[in-house]
Amino acid sequence: MRIYAAAVYLFLYIPIGIIALFSFSAGRNASEFAGFSLKWYGIALHNPFVVEALRTSFTVAASSAILAAVFGTMAALALQGMTGRIKVLFDALIYIAVMIPGIVIGISTLIAIVTVFGWLNPLIAAVWPWDGPAPQLAMGLGSLIAAHTLFNMALVIIIVRARIAGMDRSFTEASADLYATPFGTFRQITLPLILPGILAGFLLSFTFSFDDFIIAFFVAGANTTLPIYVFSSIRRGVTPEINAIGTMVLTLSLILLVTAQGFLQRKRKG
Amino acid sequence: MSDTPDHISPQKFMAELMRYRKGSVSRRHFLGVTGLGMATTVLGSAMPGLITRPAFAAGSIGDSVVLATWPNYHDPASFEAFTAATGAAVQVNVFGSNEEMLAKLQAGGSGWDVFVPTNYTITTYVEEGIIDPLDMSKLPNYDAASFDPRFAGPGTVDGKLYAASKNWGTTGMAVNTSQTNGRVLTSWKDFWDITKAEFSGRTTVHDYQLTTIGNALKSFGYSFNSIDPAELADAEKLLIEVKPHLFAITSDYQPPMRSGDAWLAMCWTGDGKQLNKDIPEISYILGKEGGEIWSDFYAIPKSAPHLDAAYALINFLLDPAINYKEAMFHGQPVADARVDAMMSAEIMADPIIHPAAELLSNLEFGAAATLTDPNRAEVMARFKSA
Amino acid sequence: MRPKLINRLLLAPAGIWFLAMLVLPLAVVLVFSFGERGQSGGYVPAFTFAQYLNLPARWKAFENTLTLAPVGTLIVLLIAYPLAYFLALRANPKWRTLLLILVIVPFWTSILIRSYAWIFILGGRGIPALLDMLGLHNLRLINTPFAVLVGIVYGYLPLMVFPIFVSLERLDKRLLEASADLGSPPWRSFLQITLPLSLPGMATGCMLVFILLMGEFLIPAMLGGGKVFFVGNALVDLFLQSRNWAFGSAVAVALVVVMLVTVTIYMRAMTRWGNGRDDVSLM
Repeated sequence: MRIYAAAVYLFLYIPIGIIALFSFSAGRNASEFAGFSLKWYGIALHNPFVVEALRTSFTVAASSAILAAVFGTMAALALQGMTGRIKVLFDALIYIAVMIPGIVIGISTLIAIVTVFGWLNPLIAAVWPWDGPAPQLAMGLGSLIAAHTLFNMALVIIIVRARIAGMDRSFTEASADLYATPFGTFRQITLPLILPGILAGFLLSFTFSFDDFIIAFFVAGANTTLPIYVFSSIRRGVTPEINAIGTMVLTLSLILLVTAQGFLQRKRKG
Repeated sequence: MSDTPDHISPQKFMAELMRYRKGSVSRRHFLGVTGLGMATTVLGSAMPGLITRPAFAAGSIGDSVVLATWPNYHDPASFEAFTAATGAAVQVNVFGSNEEMLAKLQAGGSGWDVFVPTNYTITTYVEEGIIDPLDMSKLPNYDAASFDPRFAGPGTVDGKLYAASKNWGTTGMAVNTSQTNGRVLTSWKDFWDITKAEFSGRTTVHDYQLTTIGNALKSFGYSFNSIDPAELADAEKLLIEVKPHLFAITSDYQPPMRSGDAWLAMCWTGDGKQLNKDIPEISYILGKEGGEIWSDFYAIPKSAPHLDAAYALINFLLDPAINYKEAMFHGQPVADARVDAMMSAEIMADPIIHPAAELLSNLEFGAAATLTDPNRAEVMARFKSA
Repeated sequence: MRPKLINRLLLAPAGIWFLAMLVLPLAVVLVFSFGERGQSGGYVPAFTFAQYLNLPARWKAFENTLTLAPVGTLIVLLIAYPLAYFLALRANPKWRTLLLILVIVPFWTSILIRSYAWIFILGGRGIPALLDMLGLHNLRLINTPFAVLVGIVYGYLPLMVFPIFVSLERLDKRLLEASADLGSPPWRSFLQITLPLSLPGMATGCMLVFILLMGEFLIPAMLGGGKVFFVGNALVDLFLQSRNWAFGSAVAVALVVVMLVTVTIYMRAMTRWGNGRDDVSLM
């Protein structure tokens, strides 16, 4: 059993080890190790497009995770205890949003945006009252954040609803019996109880958005997120720069994970 | 704001502004190795003003330019030189077919400043309103008289120059002769036959309808540009028959040819030259039935976000001295007589770069109809999903 | 009534979002799927079933997806289960959290970079070169369905390990002890207690992996060399090469329908089977 587990861990870590190993290669070719060097880390961090792609990825992930956490929690609260047609409709929409492959979401969003903007742009130009050319609606950060928020919102609603369902109703009932206002009850009882769910939803959303390639590939317009950058670099012929980026992202994630774990454990003890 | 001292101290060693920018990152480099740099960098650049960007003097073209081009088609050193000279960094996106470039531009928001279309696509780009005529006053390095009209001609539509000649070349096959047991490939028929037999699992074809379908058509003796349904059906049958024997369908075949995974590749001049230079057993052959001769161009999409930088980049790359260095790197012939004049007699006589005239006379330029013909697109798609 | 109004206000942003970013795009796809391809690509309005009638031209992609997705899910399950079992029931509790984190960590590097590592490992200079030294010549791994399956297992293993681990961890270990006390051999305890109780975890994991595999595009694109085609690859091709938005829309509609049908059947079967098992355990 232990040997089997060790073998699976080897399977999981050999590719990562290879990525990390070649990030220290001095050579130009990512598949031949040519002496130890840190130069590709320097090159990656000098590269304005890497920095720009990282910034875009961070902006998109943070914005869509925040939007999803806020709107998703609002919807989850409203759907709590709700029955009737609206609830059935929302359940169906959430199910579809989670089920439909990212590639279909990406493609359908692309053609919908191109079509709708194709109608709107002449309209805006026609009614544009000022001198100079009217602004053109185009795909970009906005469309990417909107597309990611859709999936993330469905995710948050599912997680927060599970949390609400597992919540002990007697707290909120007691609070109401003690004449707390609905908002007071929400702030003092419900919110603290569902907060872990919201945070989990936020983190999952952030991770999904930061790592997503497929949807971004179609709706990011002229913007380059980190996965898009990596994809086009792989097509361009890989230098160890990509390995260096991957190793840095992995190191950063590890530090975040360990820190989060540390916080959680300290809280549990305290 | 605390970044300012870091920006200034390494600067003392460096005269150029570009170096100055690089210097500012050394601290982040160190942090990057420890894993914290990513966060610092991102947070820093997410808040404008925290990290000051180097400012260029009047006439600045901005700090970046985006180029969409083909695999292995540029010397990275040229871009470094361009950035050092102008302050604009070059982002390179690589594509394996004209269809892919067209699809990206049609959907809007490509974000490209310069792209590299092939001769037969330019009229379509003009009709679709995707590109504008070039402003020649911004391209002093373009000397129309020195370009061979056979190759530079398609850049002109309705008397206006829409695209500036980049390179020309042929589409042949690269074969690793150490694997052929002395057999010599001479035709596209040989190409497909050996793939089905001794080379099963070792051949790559382009992920590009024009050449993959075209060279299948040629093996039957049809026109490279045929859109005749019966002829296309023959080509499709052949392609689907060959598919299980292919190593890959890819326009970036240098890595598998170099690693020895692939022994035979549908190949463009420059890739053939690059492979042959490093691995002499790999030779480049033109099919005796004919095949493609092509010329590529620089063009600017209407939607280019950095127009000045786009012109600056094209003009820079058309500088005969730079163009010469590029050609030495990628091995594609140039249509510019000023560049040819710099080339050694040996290179002018190189059979890969400049094949004999009688071999060239057999070849066809791609036709505009193949780009928009729905059948060719569908044959290619069916072949890939078969 | 006030609470109703508040509920509506709370639901409004999510509702608008679903409408604009889900219902509208899907409606556009549905409309386009009855249209025609434009002269130089794109879409021309029309009402025709031609695109749907042309679907058999992509049969192979559907066939690949509908075989490799279940097969991939099954292999992921077979590899993940013993690991989840080890983590939940056998591993030293001191190390359990760390070992679990170690399963997720690879998930944090981009799937692109991880697949790239496999291009190298499975390519001519990787495993085939090693096997060549052992006397096994000319073995080809990269750009085969095998390579795609390796990429799938590598990419989706954590998604399967987690739900199974959770359901096994919840398992009341006294049941196993009682079973052992009653003289039942370990394999019987496993078949009669552990396996049925971990069924919900397996069902969740399989569904997650299966849904993602049905829409897969990247892994076959990177490790299949353009030769192992999923419906996702056919779709990307139709939009980014052939520029045939109408046919692409029809393929997208077909993919969604196939997915909804298979997942619904799967969920029905799972619930029915789950209920059946409950009855057994009650007896």
